[in-house]
Amino acid sequence: MKRRVWIKANQWIACALTIAVLMAGCSQPGGGGGASAPGAADTESASGGTAAPGTGGTAVGFIFVGTKDDHGYNQAAYIGSEAVEKAYPDLKVLRAENVPETAEAERVMEQMIRDGAKIIFPTSYGHLDPALNVAKRHPDVAFFHQGGLKTAENLGTYFGTIWEPIYLAGVAAGKMSKTGKLGYVVSVPIPQVLLNVNAFQLGARSVNPNATTSVVFTGSWCDPGQQANAANSLIDAGVDVITQHQDCTKTIIETAERRGVMSVGYHTDASELAPNGWLTGSSWNWSDLFVDMVKVAVNGEFKGSKYDGKYRGMLKDDIVQLANFGANVPDDVKALVEEKKAALIDGTLHPFAGPVKDQTGNVRIAEGELPTLDELEATDYLVEGVIGNIPK
Amino acid sequence: MIADILTGALRSGTSVMLASQGELVSERAGVINLGTEGAMLAGALGGFAVTVWTGNPWLGVLAGGFCGMLIAAIHAFLVLTCGANQLATGLTIMFFAIGLTSFFGREFVSQRIVGFNPVPIPLLSDIPFVGGILFNHDPLTYLSIALVPCLWYALFRKRLGVILRAAGEREEVLFASGINPKLVRYLAVLAGGCLAGVGGVQLSVAFTHSWVENMTQGRGVVAVALVIFASWKPARAMLGAYLFGAAQALQLTVQQMGWPISTFFLFMVPYLLTLAALLVVERRKQSVTPEALGKVLAGDTGG
Amino acid sequence: MKQQAAALPLQGASDIWRSRVRSAGVQAAVLLAPFVLYGLFLLANGVNPWTLYVSMIRSTFGDLYGLGEVLLKATPIILTGLAAALPAKAGLVNVGGEGQLAIGALFSTWFAVFYLDQMSAWVGIPLMLLAGALGGAVWAGITAALKVSGRLNETITSLLLNYVAAYTVSFFVHGLLKDPESFNWPFSPEISPALRLPILDGTRLHIGFAVAIAFAAVVWFVLAKTRVGFRIRVLGSNRLAAERAGFNINRTYVAVLLAGGVLAGIAGMIEIAGIEGRLRPETGADYGYLGFLAAMMAWNHPVRLIATGFLLGMISVAGNTLEIGSGLPSSSVHILMGLVLFFILGSRRQKEG
Repeated sequence: MKRRVWIKANQWIACALTIAVLMAGCSQPGGGGGASAPGAADTESASGGTAAPGTGGTAVGFIFVGTKDDHGYNQAAYIGSEAVEKAYPDLKVLRAENVPETAEAERVMEQMIRDGAKIIFPTSYGHLDPALNVAKRHPDVAFFHQGGLKTAENLGTYFGTIWEPIYLAGVAAGKMSKTGKLGYVVSVPIPQVLLNVNAFQLGARSVNPNATTSVVFTGSWCDPGQQANAANSLIDAGVDVITQHQDCTKTIIETAERRGVMSVGYHTDASELAPNGWLTGSSWNWSDLFVDMVKVAVNGEFKGSKYDGKYRGMLKDDIVQLANFGANVPDDVKALVEEKKAALIDGTLHPFAGPVKDQTGNVRIAEGELPTLDELEATDYLVEGVIGNIPK
Repeated sequence: MIADILTGALRSGTSVMLASQGELVSERAGVINLGTEGAMLAGALGGFAVTVWTGNPWLGVLAGGFCGMLIAAIHAFLVLTCGANQLATGLTIMFFAIGLTSFFGREFVSQRIVGFNPVPIPLLSDIPFVGGILFNHDPLTYLSIALVPCLWYALFRKRLGVILRAAGEREEVLFASGINPKLVRYLAVLAGGCLAGVGGVQLSVAFTHSWVENMTQGRGVVAVALVIFASWKPARAMLGAYLFGAAQALQLTVQQMGWPISTFFLFMVPYLLTLAALLVVERRKQSVTPEALGKVLAGDTGG
Repeated sequence: MKQQAAALPLQGASDIWRSRVRSAGVQAAVLLAPFVLYGLFLLANGVNPWTLYVSMIRSTFGDLYGLGEVLLKATPIILTGLAAALPAKAGLVNVGGEGQLAIGALFSTWFAVFYLDQMSAWVGIPLMLLAGALGGAVWAGITAALKVSGRLNETITSLLLNYVAAYTVSFFVHGLLKDPESFNWPFSPEISPALRLPILDGTRLHIGFAVAIAFAAVVWFVLAKTRVGFRIRVLGSNRLAAERAGFNINRTYVAVLLAGGVLAGIAGMIEIAGIEGRLRPETGADYGYLGFLAAMMAWNHPVRLIATGFLLGMISVAGNTLEIGSGLPSSSVHILMGLVLFFILGSRRQKEG
C-alpha cells in the first residue's frame, strides 16, 4: 500500500517531466516565437558589470501592482508604458499586472531580465525593496522606481508632486463647500496618502479657515462596495465635497454625483462621470517622462543623468496636472485657483511652507521653513483640521 | 447616526444576504459551496455587462442569476457527478471565477450604467427614523427582503421544502417516494448559485454601479459563514447579513469620530462580530446540521 | 483505493500491469486535458499555445534557476498543505493556513527584530523557527478552542480568522513593527543577515525546501507508523468508533489543529528568513489557500502532497511567463490553475476505483 503511494507520486512527477521534455524537445524546429527572447540564455549578468545600465537590451519591463484598466494609478502608468512602446518599436514592452509587493516581484523582474529587458519600471512603492535586491544582482540593468526614497547605483526613483494639484483642488473644494465639511476616502495610512490628505486640507483651509476634512480608510485600494459605503457614510454625516486616494476612482465619483454632492478626482480626469458635481482633480502625465527616461538609459547616459537619484516631476514640468474644471465651478473660483497655480509654478507659493500644525496642535514645520522632499514623502501625521486617526 | 448605520446595514448587507439565502438552499440539500464567492462575481459581471448592453437592469438581474447558476453548475457537476471534494471544489471555483471574470470583465471596468437606484416608497418613507432606514432603497433590496419569508414558507410549509430538506437529511425517504436525491441536490445548488448571482448583481448594478475585478472581496465567504451562524434558517441569515453590513457601516462612522482606535482593528470588527455571533448562537443550543452536510464538514469527503 | 489494495493479491501480474498502465494513462489525460482546453482559450485570444507552453516549461525546468523558483514556491504550499492535511486525517477542515502562516511570519519577524538581532545563525534561526511555530499554533489555537469549547465549526472560524490575521499583520507593520528607516512605509525592519537561511548558489532557493520535505516525511511517519497516527486516522474515518474505543476526541482535535498551526507558522517563518527578509502586509498571501488545494488534490497524503505542491508551484511560476510572454492579463493564470484543479479534483472517483 505504501509502495503504491510512492509509485503514484512518482508517476505524477514522471508525467510532468515527460510533458516537459516532449515540449522542450519539439520546440527547436518551430522556434522563433515571440515569447522567449534569444538573449535569454546568457542570463547571469556578472559579465555585464562594465556596460552602462540600461544599454543593449531587447525589451523594457513594467510591473504594476494592480490592473491596467483601473482608471487610476496603474492605468496612468500603463499609458506611460504605451508611449514607450510607440517611441521605441524595436524594444519589446513586457508587462506584468497584479504583482504583489513581496519577494514575488523579484521573480517577475528576474524573468523580464531573462527575456531581454535591460530597463525595468517597478511602479509601486512596495516594489522598491525587491527591485533593490534585483538591481544588486544585475548591475547592467537600469531600474526606474515609481515613488521610492531609496536609490542604488543602477536604480533611480521618479515621482510627481501630485500634492501640488491636490492643494489646488483643496482650494476649489474649500471655496465651493457650503457646509465646510470635506471628505477624503483613502486606502491605508501610508505617507503618500497622508501627504495628499494634508495638501487638500491646507488648500481648503487657505480659503476657508473653518474647513475640515474627514478621512475614512477602506483598507483596500479598490473595493467598490466599501468605497460606496464610505462615500455614503461621509455624505450622511454632512460632507458635501468628496475626494479620494484609491486606485479605482469611478464608484466614489458616481456615488457622490447621484447623491448630489460635489467631487474632486484623482489620477485621471473623470469630469464626464459627474457633469454636475465635478469640481476638478489631479492627474499624472507619465508618457513624455517615461520615453525620456528610456532614451537616457538606452543611450548609456543613466549615470549622471537627472534620473539616477530621486527625480520629482512637478506641476511646472507638466508631470502632474490639474484636471479641467467642472461646468458648475464659477469663474471667480476658477480665477482664484489659476492664480494659485501660477504662484505654485513660479515658486512664490509652497503649500507646506511653515508653520504647519498637526491634529494635536504641534508645529511640524516651523515658521518660515520649507520641508525637504524626504520629509514630505515620509509624512506620518495629519494636519490641523483633518478629522480621522492614523494607527500608531 | 444610528439611523445612518442601520441604513448602511441594508445598503451593504443586501448582496451578502442574497448570497447567504442561496447558500442556505444549497446547504439544506446537503451541498456546501465555498464557490459562492465565484457565483457572486459571475453574477456581478454578467448583470453589469447585460445592463451595459441593454440598458435594462432587470435583464441584468436575469443574466446575473444565470451566470451565477453556470458557475454553480460546475460545482454541482464536479461534486455530485464526479464525486469531488466539496470544499476543495468550492475553493477552486472561487479562484477560477476570479480569473474568468477578471479576464472577460476588463472592457467593463470603465463602462457606465444607470442601473437600479433608490425608489422611496410613498408615505412609508416619510415615517420618521424607520422610513429612511427601510423604505428608501433600490428595487432589488425590496425584493430581497420579500424573498426571505417566501423562502421560509417554501422550505418549511411546502412539499418542495420537504423534498429539499430530505435530500440533505434522509435521502432514503426520497428514494422511497421515487425522487432522485441527486437531482434535488443539483437543482438546489443551481438555485443557490442563481441567488448568489443576483446578490452579485445587487453589488454591481444597484449598490456601486461599477464592475472591477474581484469586487466581491470575500463577501461570498462571509455569506457561507453566515449560513452556519443562522443554523440554516432564512430569517437568521438575513439578520446575520445585516449585522455584517451594520458592522461595516459602524466602523466607517467610528472612523469619522476621530477616536484613537486603530483603523486596522476597526477593519476586523465585521469578522470578529460574526465570530462572536456564531459563538453566542452555538452556545445557546447546538444547531441542527443537515446530516449530509454534517458529513462534509466532518471531513467525510465526497458528494 | 482500499478496495484495490485488498484485491491486489488476487490479480495476475499482467492484470496489475494493465491496470497500472491504464491508471497512468488516465492520470496523464487528467493532467493534459486542462492544457489542451486552455490552449483553445489561448488560440481564441490570438496566442500560440505551443510556443507559450514551451517557454513556460523552459522558464521552470530550463535551468537551475527556474527549477529553484518552482521549489521555492512549492515550499510554503507544501507546509500549509500539511497544515490542512493533518487535521483532515482526523476529520477536521482547516482552511486557516493562510492566517496561521501570516501570524507565524509576524511572530518570527517580531522575535528576529527585537530579540534575536545579535544572535548567531545557529542559535537565532532555530529560535526564530520556534517563534513562527508558536505564532501559527496561537492562531490555530483560537480555532481549536472555539471548536472544543464553543462547538464552532472549524471550517468557518479558520476562514474568518484569515481576514482577522491579515488585518493583525497590517496593524503591526503600520505600527509597532514599522521600520524606522523606511520613511514610514508599512514594512518591518530587515532581519539580521545572520538569520537568513542559507541559499543555493545561482538561485534564490534556500534550505527551507528541505525543511518542508522533512516535515512531510515526519507527518507521514506519525500518521502511518505511530499510535497517535492510528488514533487520528480512526477518529477521521469513524468518529463513533473512536468514541467507543474511549479515545479523547477533543484532545486529538486540539492536537492536530495545533500541529497544523505549527506547520503553517513555520511556513511563515521560512518565507521571512528565506526570501522576504522583512514582513510586509502581503507577505505569504494566498499560500494558505494554495496549500489547502494541494492537500485536497493529494487526498491529504503527505507524500503525494509534495508532488501536488510542486505542480501548483510550477503553474504559479510558469504563470509569470504566460503573462509576460503572451501579454494576456494576470487573471488568465487563475483560469489555467482552475482548469488543472477541476480535472484533478473531478477525476478522484475514478482513481478511488
